[in-house]
Amino acid sequence: MSFEHVTSVLIADIGSVHTRLVLIDQVEGQYRLVASTRTRTTTAPPLANVNLCLERAAQQITDRIGRDLLSADADHLFIMPEQNGHGVDEFLATSSAGRPMRVFLVGLTPEISLASARRTLAGSYVEITDTLCPDDLRSQEEQINAILQGDPNLILIVGGTDDGAEETLLELVDTVKLALSLIMRGQIPAVLFAGNQALKARVKQALGPITEVFTSKNVRPSLHDEQLFPAQIELALTYDDYQGKQSSRFRDVGRQSQIGVVPTTQGYISTIRYLSEIGQQGIGPLCVDIGSANSVIGAGVRKEPHFAARTDVGIGHNMPGALNAITPNEVLRWLPFDISADDLWDYAYSKQLYPTTVPGTPEDLMIEQAFAREIVRLLVREARADWGLGQDELLPPFQPIIAAGAVLTEAQHPGISAMILLDALQPANIAELYLDPHNLISSLGVAAYVKPLITVQTLETGGLINLGMAFCPLGRARYGQDAIYAHIRQPDGSVINHTVRGGEIWMAPILPGTPVEIQVKLRRGLSINGKRRIRQRVTAGSAGIVFDARSRPLALPRLKDRAVRFLRWQLAMSGRKEEPVDLEATPPSAEDLMPDLVVQEDALHEDVLS
Amino acid sequence: MKTYYPETTIIKGLARVHRERKLPLHTAPKPTHTMTGMSVDAIHVVLEGDVLREYRILDAGEALGIRDPNQLAEFILVSEGQRVQYGQEIAQRGRGRRSKVLSAPADGEITRIEDTQIVLQIAETTIEVMAKIPGQIDEIEQYTVQITGHGALIQCAWGNGAFCYEAFRFVPEGGFVELSKLDVRISEYRRVVLISPNAISKGDLLVAQQQEVAGVVAPSMPSNLREFAMRLTFPVLLTEGFGRRRPTALIYSLLQSNMGRQAAFDAVVPDHWAGDRPEIMIPLPSGGVTPPVPMLERPLAVGAHVRITRAPWDGLNGEVVDIPSAPQVIDNGLRLPCAKVQLGNGRIGVIPLANLELLG
Repeated sequence: MSFEHVTSVLIADIGSVHTRLVLIDQVEGQYRLVASTRTRTTTAPPLANVNLCLERAAQQITDRIGRDLLSADADHLFIMPEQNGHGVDEFLATSSAGRPMRVFLVGLTPEISLASARRTLAGSYVEITDTLCPDDLRSQEEQINAILQGDPNLILIVGGTDDGAEETLLELVDTVKLALSLIMRGQIPAVLFAGNQALKARVKQALGPITEVFTSKNVRPSLHDEQLFPAQIELALTYDDYQGKQSSRFRDVGRQSQIGVVPTTQGYISTIRYLSEIGQQGIGPLCVDIGSANSVIGAGVRKEPHFAARTDVGIGHNMPGALNAITPNEVLRWLPFDISADDLWDYAYSKQLYPTTVPGTPEDLMIEQAFAREIVRLLVREARADWGLGQDELLPPFQPIIAAGAVLTEAQHPGISAMILLDALQPANIAELYLDPHNLISSLGVAAYVKPLITVQTLETGGLINLGMAFCPLGRARYGQDAIYAHIRQPDGSVINHTVRGGEIWMAPILPGTPVEIQVKLRRGLSINGKRRIRQRVTAGSAGIVFDARSRPLALPRLKDRAVRFLRWQLAMSGRKEEPVDLEATPPSAEDLMPDLVVQEDALHEDVLS
Repeated sequence: MKTYYPETTIIKGLARVHRERKLPLHTAPKPTHTMTGMSVDAIHVVLEGDVLREYRILDAGEALGIRDPNQLAEFILVSEGQRVQYGQEIAQRGRGRRSKVLSAPADGEITRIEDTQIVLQIAETTIEVMAKIPGQIDEIEQYTVQITGHGALIQCAWGNGAFCYEAFRFVPEGGFVELSKLDVRISEYRRVVLISPNAISKGDLLVAQQQEVAGVVAPSMPSNLREFAMRLTFPVLLTEGFGRRRPTALIYSLLQSNMGRQAAFDAVVPDHWAGDRPEIMIPLPSGGVTPPVPMLERPLAVGAHVRITRAPWDGLNGEVVDIPSAPQVIDNGLRLPCAKVQLGNGRIGVIPLANLELLG
């Protein structure tokens, strides 16, 4: 396939709640984000028609910029290729909507081939039903039942280095063959073979007559070499096949795109790979996306993309799953008002019933933002080993940090989005924060399959929202002590001098896009990149420039101070002046009524988030 | 303002209700006495099938003492796809007391005969799919049946998986406490579905169980009662959700106006991806006129009747009086596309579009 002719591309990201559509076109010789829109996803019954949300989104773009996108031809959703300024040259689609794909794993060794298979799947919306390997002590009958009882959509077979073991793997393939041949009703799972390349033809011969067999390069061509990318690409094709089998007319959408419907995470992996390659010192970007049903994290470490998806954790459909994974106490510590764990469960289960809704009260908003912080923390905690980090180590200096998902990108103020990211990730030294409200990172990753220049230029021309830089000194400053002295000179010569005290956070009120010169002096015991004095030119983002003197690891206030301090942080990051807090007006809380108990709780908590 | 298509909840006094009933794909369908055009009541079994799950590999060669598959073939008494019952002979060599017999270890279906092995898929249980609404059968296929009925329809938020077709009435003024004092043998609430306009507790459900009611409908309950409710044999339907939620007045006035009638209480556990949603259908005569099918997907417009799904206005109904073209800042500081909704008391609220449901 040649894509050299492509000058305009329409990319859809079909999520469980929202479908985003972005139009990228050449403007003055450079690819740019021209328009974007968002509609409610229509994949679930009773509508069960993904075309509907795509048509609505396309119509919204047409209404906005006057460019017709929808085709009058019943066989084609969009006008393709571009004609007289209407239509587009290419349509691409990513999706994270619907149930995760169920996958059964077959491999030779749990520690090597099956481990590689799990890493291959880590970047996809899958649920592993069971595994099979030669060490399996179950009888053949039990093994067959293990394969079939989980109703897998896909069987992933890995194992053997290229030209390595054959017979043992073929015996496993025979078991799979027998199992698949027994299915008399329902759908027969597809097979993806990513093992010993010498067996590719024999596996196809054995299983091809029963089901669709996809093949890719070996995930372990040799014992010391792991190549996940080819299998991940093929996995994307199996995902397209899986989505096509659902009754939401995904197959129609897949047909409009030359590469089918790709899992959203695959797009992320592709962009992270690119950003990692241009990053310095082997440190790439960090991307987090909190969706309604899924949450994902990806990072460029040692110039390689590392990715993990949780298909049971989200802020809508899977909010109970999220609460189960992070526990109520972890959410409660971010809430400055009294609420019980039972109330949190009620909230989570109700949100599951109404996943498309948004918080309507300040309390509800704080609850969802508390969930967001803890979901990100959970994802980081689980990814640490894969990144080569210990549990207590601070994050490496990922640059940039990019957040997607409405709970992160649509806070009440960009400063609040920045604060949620700082609370959850606790980056040290200097962090560049971005928001991706259009899910461009994923979309551009898929665009790279077609024409990498689209990805490069669209990212360079500002498809993301720059929140700005955050200065987060390492070390601990006591609460109330002067911690950071910031001297900011603006282009018009005006100067802002501000002292940030220990335990506080401050958003310098500078207009987005303004280049300023900053001098930072830090209190003894604090440092940024090992220094106590920094002089730097930076450009302010939509959250201005952030100075976080809340220590690393972040120390949460004691229970009795929490409401006041949280409110102060919120005000500081919303660009509002600090208002005196009327403590008399707040209702008595548990600590007011039972101070002894609170002292004990404080001692227990210690409240250092490491 | 972009055209916005909100979620739709059907709360309708009279509608043509079309429903599809399905057998799970892994079941083996059994014949039923259902025909196209036939009138059915809500508890009529329209589809039936055996759930086949576990596979058993039976070694016929070993049982009959024959190792040669070709020789064995003449002693096998069943064929692939054949249904067998527990104890049925599936392979036999010889006659009389010295014969060697392989019997089916359970009810099931022969899925494979290869070499000396016979694979039997065990029938775990039989599924009966009820019509769940009284109506007429439009179409029957092996795994699906289409039914149409007329009546009031109320879509709910959550159900415990049970179903009943019974009369309903509101809980007495003193609530479940008053109910608990009644003698179950002569109670007028026995085998009746109880409608509670207030959130229910575990104690309320225990009283309902003790009073042998047919079901419970309430706005909400604590989410930690989900498991308990799922173990109850009668349907529990929540019209709003979990926690303490305000009842949608329209739902309870509709139930009030039809009190004493029989209704289908389908407390299916909601499944967003499958489109399963609990509902109450009260069959009503249509007076010779075909009532309209509820509309599921309409754009939000001024004049539309909507329900608000999130605090602080959750459960309230109103009429859209304006849809501002620019996003509005709401109480919590979020800047969102909103509609101005006139509530029952005349007050106008600015509500995020995402928190509005059209009433279908």
